[in-house]
Amino acid sequence: MDLKECYQCLGGDFEDVLSRLRSEKIIKKFILKFLDDASFFMLRESITNQNKEEAFRAAHTLKGVCQNLSFTLLYHSAEQMTEALREGDCEKASEIFSVVSHDYDKTVNAIKKYKNYVETENI
Amino acid sequence: MINKKILIVDDSEFNRALLVEILENQYIVEEASDGKEAIEILRQRSAEFSIVLLDIVMPRANGFSVLAYMGKYRMLEGTAVIMISSDDSGENMKKAYEMGAFDYISRPFDPTVVHHRVSNTMLLYDKQNKLEDLVIEQIYEQQKNNKLMISILSHIVEFRNGESGRHVTNVESITELLLKQLVKMTKRYSLSSSDISLISTASALHDIGKISIPDEILNKPGKLTVQEFEIMKSHTLAGAQMLLSLSEEEQKNKLVKTAYEICRWHHERYDGQGYPDALAGDAIPISAQVVSIADVYDALTSERCYKRAYSHEQAVHMIIKGECGSFNPLLLDCLVQIGDAIAKVQSSVAVYEDEFQMIQDAREKLNQYHLTSPLSADLFTFEQQKNGFYTEISRDILFSYNNNTETLTLNSRGAEKIGLDKNVISPKSDPIFSKLLEEPDIHRIVCKLAKTSHNHPDVNTDIRLFINDKEVNFHCVIKTIWTSENKPKQIGFAGILLEVNRE
Repeated sequence: MDLKECYQCLGGDFEDVLSRLRSEKIIKKFILKFLDDASFFMLRESITNQNKEEAFRAAHTLKGVCQNLSFTLLYHSAEQMTEALREGDCEKASEIFSVVSHDYDKTVNAIKKYKNYVETENI
Repeated sequence: MINKKILIVDDSEFNRALLVEILENQYIVEEASDGKEAIEILRQRSAEFSIVLLDIVMPRANGFSVLAYMGKYRMLEGTAVIMISSDDSGENMKKAYEMGAFDYISRPFDPTVVHHRVSNTMLLYDKQNKLEDLVIEQIYEQQKNNKLMISILSHIVEFRNGESGRHVTNVESITELLLKQLVKMTKRYSLSSSDISLISTASALHDIGKISIPDEILNKPGKLTVQEFEIMKSHTLAGAQMLLSLSEEEQKNKLVKTAYEICRWHHERYDGQGYPDALAGDAIPISAQVVSIADVYDALTSERCYKRAYSHEQAVHMIIKGECGSFNPLLLDCLVQIGDAIAKVQSSVAVYEDEFQMIQDAREKLNQYHLTSPLSADLFTFEQQKNGFYTEISRDILFSYNNNTETLTLNSRGAEKIGLDKNVISPKSDPIFSKLLEEPDIHRIVCKLAKTSHNHPDVNTDIRLFINDKEVNFHCVIKTIWTSENKPKQIGFAGILLEVNRE
């Protein structure tokens, strides 16, 4: 699995990210870094704790990160989540959260797969 | 562009890492993980950063709070803020620009664009800063030369008079002190701070007319005859006449106009009993009124060929009683109010103050054109006064040395303990100083100082002083002081002497 396939798998736009970041090396570095990004977990936790303000910030950050990496699928659900939280619509937000959660898993699984592949290649 | 510092403020570690990746090859990058941390960093050392890349949505304090803080403390004049946000609603963008952000980058950003925007911003700010420095330097240089010319001119008169030149400097300092007090007490004479500085500078020229007085009269030790006194009095008109002979263009100059008033009327008295024109009250320009009182005070408290020196108290008493003619009651009030400061003028050596004052004046001038932040001038004054205070109250021996003026400065405690003056100019050739330290010790310290660098500025050593021929051992800690340019220059040092307890 190469980067392009990984992007197909997670519903992202590889052409777009490549045109901006210009180097596969940097893209690789940062999508692997995405696995350590805490914003999704912060979002989940603050939804559980019903902390609206923090939930908004976490969703906003997640949206920004996805935007930088052209993770189109997750970007769209994170964006809807951000807007729902901005409007203070909690019901809608928790509805959308299940979508975000689903998209996040899909994204992370694809990246993990790619990571496995890269690591075994290296050996 | 190397050495330029950028502060990246974003609560997402991921976003910061991406920006660091783009910028770290060319710049020094520092990170703050939220607005509060950014404010904390900027509060202490905003001047270090050329650019702040600022996210908007953050916990604790958001990007707008940081921007507002920077605006409030006038940091935006030296540090450019580029907002980066995925929140590219027109409203946020408009708000950011209105609050003083220099640029706005929307996410997802293109690294090349970020790079170009950052480097363009740097170039622009850099150019502006360089121009600003250049202007300050030129104003400073020009003022220095003006002062120097005036000083040479007025000292010529003094030396012919057999005086040291001290009188001119004293009159200048006292004039300035009186004027500053006067504006505190009344709005009657609308005097700006530049008027005050102009009058003080022009005061040095009050006696230039004396150049036309014959030696026998000028330096006669005994009392002058009525005829001789008439000739002596003519120095006022002679001085004024000299200034009138300048070209028309030159006469329009404020300094020349003020000097004319002072030369002509510094012997007028408030009740109309003075000379040459017997003007009374506020018909005498305030410049001449102030200089006349400063002139009389300094003449009384100095020794002259025809009289001894009176004490400060005696002099003030004589002036108030009207023994030297009548003066504006407001000015007499000023004299009493600031008696302590005036008494100090005679004993002070204002080596640094002049330099500081000129830099301050240059800054003030620039501020009129909104070129530089008055905050930095305020900070400068604040630091200066704070240091002065700490130094004076300290029970330790504190000293500093300025390479430019070749002056060693001690705090009161140090001067008293070691038996030196508070300011020692060219200590190497000072007889008391050279008895204090042995040649090998001096050599050793000079070597150590020469080995310091901007990054390793400290010297720790033991030294032996001979105070009143008694040997005293000290531990000496010195920090060398460097300019903040790209290639730092050593401009002096500051230090402390700790007495090593005798067993």
